[in-house]
Amino acid sequence: MAVDISTLNYDEAGHVKFHSSCSVDLEQPVFDAEWQRRAFGLAVALSEFGHYAWEDFQRELISAIGSWQSAPDDEKGRWEYYQHWVTALDTVVRRHGLLEEGYVNPEDRD
Amino acid sequence: MSELFAYPDDREEASAAQVKALEALLIEKGVITGSTVDKVLGYFESEMTPLNGKKIVARAWVDPEFARLLATDTPKAIAQLDLPEGMAGAEGEHIAAVVNEPGVHNLVICSLCSCFPWPVLGLPPYWYKDPVFRARAAREPRVVLAELGVELDDDTEVRVWDSSGHSRWFVVPARPSGTEGWSEEQLAELVTTESMIGVALAGPAA
Repeated sequence: MAVDISTLNYDEAGHVKFHSSCSVDLEQPVFDAEWQRRAFGLAVALSEFGHYAWEDFQRELISAIGSWQSAPDDEKGRWEYYQHWVTALDTVVRRHGLLEEGYVNPEDRD
Repeated sequence: MSELFAYPDDREEASAAQVKALEALLIEKGVITGSTVDKVLGYFESEMTPLNGKKIVARAWVDPEFARLLATDTPKAIAQLDLPEGMAGAEGEHIAAVVNEPGVHNLVICSLCSCFPWPVLGLPPYWYKDPVFRARAAREPRVVLAELGVELDDDTEVRVWDSSGHSRWFVVPARPSGTEGWSEEQLAELVTTESMIGVALAGPAA
């Protein structure tokens, strides 16, 4: 379904809604589900410990979001930010060979 | 790809399963340990919160010297404050402050991937990552701001800052009037996350 970006509504609590699933409300939890939280933590942790540069993850995230945005409306499906996050995470892990035989952690390298 | 898109509920489940599998594999391979992700999340959730941003803004309001440094070398200014370890570390080195002043209102977005200055603002609110917010804020910031209740004079310039890996912006909102003589702690209470993104003003003074 195409997202109508021309109108703006308010929900019962008076928060601005950009569309049916998005209202400007800081009280809303940052993560809707535990898997999103873990995906976030995993991506940050791997970068923190030197397995890839954050920019490498970011590039994949931009690419995953870009694919969603340029897909035809009837194929897009619901917007789910962390779905793209997971796609990016999976790609960056594989591109850097983290799961390949013989991969050596940065702290164990000479 | 289109098949995946046709089953949104399955996609949600598939993503959850994919994350679980990835973490398990990385633990098994010895790339991370079973507690790595929890440690990182714990740090984010306890130390990297908007409380840091509130303290930074309050200091800038009472200390013009600090405010000047904050605008020109944000990481150096932040390092002067007694904030949690790692504030200048991961992703923190790219933090840059933009200052609201008479005639200038700043608004931060990330049109590509929702970059956010985690160390000073915590994790981004849901709407910041929303494609509609990102697209509209870039295209018609003045309209979006008015809808959010930020009424600006016609001659106030709106500057939209698009965050990226190299610059993660946050806004230093204007100090509300009627707060002369307030302590930094009192002032920090007036600073909201929204005001540091630029979708609201700070205050008002109680």
